[in-house]
Amino acid sequence: MKALIKYVLAALALTAALAPVYWLFTISIKREIDQFASPPLWFHFQPTWRHYAASFSDGSFARYLWNSALVASVSTLAALALGVPAAYGLARLRWPGGWSAKIGFWILSTRMLPPIVTIVPLFLMMRSAGLLNSRVGLILIYTAFNLPFVVWMMQGFFREVPRELEEAAMLDGDSRMGALLRVILPVVRPGLAATAVFCVIVAWNEFLFALIMTQTGASTTLPVGIASRVTQYEINWGAMSAAGVVAMAPVLIFAAAAQRYLVRGLSLGAVKG
Amino acid sequence: MLDLRAITKRFGAITALDNVSLAAADGEFVVLLGPSGCGKSTLLRIVAGLEIPDEGTIALAGRDITDLAPRERDLAMVFQNYALYPHMTVAQNIEYPLKIRRRAPHQIAAEVAAVAEKLGLSGLLDRLPRELSGGQRQRVAFARAIIRQPKAFLMDEPLSNLDAQLRMATRAELKRLQHELRIVTLYVTHDQAEAMTLAHRIAVMQAGRIVQCDTPANIYHRPSSTFVAAFVGSPPMNLIEGGLGALPRPDGATTLGVRPEDVEISTTEQSGWQPASVYVAEEMGNETVVRAAVGKTFITARVSPDTRLRFEDRVWLRLRPGKLHWFDAGGTRLPLTESCSGPRLPSPPESRSG
Repeated sequence: MKALIKYVLAALALTAALAPVYWLFTISIKREIDQFASPPLWFHFQPTWRHYAASFSDGSFARYLWNSALVASVSTLAALALGVPAAYGLARLRWPGGWSAKIGFWILSTRMLPPIVTIVPLFLMMRSAGLLNSRVGLILIYTAFNLPFVVWMMQGFFREVPRELEEAAMLDGDSRMGALLRVILPVVRPGLAATAVFCVIVAWNEFLFALIMTQTGASTTLPVGIASRVTQYEINWGAMSAAGVVAMAPVLIFAAAAQRYLVRGLSLGAVKG
Repeated sequence: MLDLRAITKRFGAITALDNVSLAAADGEFVVLLGPSGCGKSTLLRIVAGLEIPDEGTIALAGRDITDLAPRERDLAMVFQNYALYPHMTVAQNIEYPLKIRRRAPHQIAAEVAAVAEKLGLSGLLDRLPRELSGGQRQRVAFARAIIRQPKAFLMDEPLSNLDAQLRMATRAELKRLQHELRIVTLYVTHDQAEAMTLAHRIAVMQAGRIVQCDTPANIYHRPSSTFVAAFVGSPPMNLIEGGLGALPRPDGATTLGVRPEDVEISTTEQSGWQPASVYVAEEMGNETVVRAAVGKTFITARVSPDTRLRFEDRVWLRLRPGKLHWFDAGGTRLPLTESCSGPRLPSPPESRSG
């Protein structure tokens, strides 16, 4: 009986989570006439792929997709490259006067500001640096916003690793850097994967900065590109949904592939083992 | 040889090590023994280069290594939790020190095979550490330490995570291994049995100082203070404030020490022996440990298992003459007089003198 209730609740939660995804997907393969039929057509409609063809036919969505992929992956790699060594330093090296905690808090505090208040100064800075309408500008911004997150998450993972591991490596003849690369990073791989997935998702989904910093199609990312199909004359639901499904797919695939690491990564801080 | 001179280490206001000096000869097995917090692990970590001493110098094989990074010191360390690299197989763990040194692959393979053979790991080379038992992990840690024949071994309670039986077996294997390799070994433990069985010399530490550094026999038979006397030996030495009965005592002596095996118990009255009553008797099989009350003083004795004793039995006891230890009010051993000198000890071999 208890098990039954559990399954019913789980089914409800699953439905609530998946229904919008399902709706998005069905809209993307329905003819316009079926999209807003009343009562809604959940299962019986004539599927069509022409929205997919339409949304990619003019090449703009393909470009947005490429922009998004580039911006998300490069900014994630950059945030990891900068944040992982910083996290290791904060977690392991002895700082006089408790500076480790102070610097750590300072890094965290940069996330306490609502991003929107930084928009105007960032816009001005980007303009004077000539980085408006460029992917480099977005990469810089996303890297900066993901960096504190990377530092804090990785710091937790590094602290979980027994100190003796790198001490053993150093006594075995390795430098601290070598011990980090050959022993510590492989051990925190689940944490690295979890952190990377979060960074990619944040950069992939980001809308506000992408909207403000890009006015031409050259560096437009998917979220902005999709929203641009809402025009003052019409809302192209089919093409938007098709693009939305395409936008969702990489995140789903990425998260599924990293799921093993994600679960271990997220629980690494909770249970010692 | 390993030579530590006047090492001092402070953590904030706490002085973890206070002017500690220790020298170990080539091939010598020196055990640092003491309760937790006495600074023994800190001293080991300073030798390893994992901590920097505030004062003092460390020399290994005639070379000053005080300011060298851990990897430049040519030491191998075995940790309490083994510190095996969890993502590497047993073979990869063992060969790591050689790989880092860029030895030729065929040479690495040969040496890994030889060390694995020596430690009974040959069938486990492809396993991951998490697939091994505690004892097997311990052997992998030893294998990783000995493969490159370092100038010194450092061991931080390497046996304390093993269960009692395995610990005794590994202890004996370790003693044999060190004897064969003849590499100077510094071994940290709080287990006095490990110290007694393994060491050529034991350095007993208390509150950041070495209070006595001597052969196990001398530590046992001539403890320099009440602290050493109580720490080494199981059951520990009886320490009796003010002595017992009408025993003659040296000037300034306040505490009488006597090992439980030097307390004789008789169930019949003997002239000149102290009457006592049995508080508790524990039969161990090979011996019986008796706790007897002489007035308000408790005295522990180890007697033959044939002696059947029950609660409150009336017994007579005697402290074996010539086996008494006297300590002054500060707990320091008093110079021995002829009447209470310890047994004649064989002098330690040349290589073991520090």
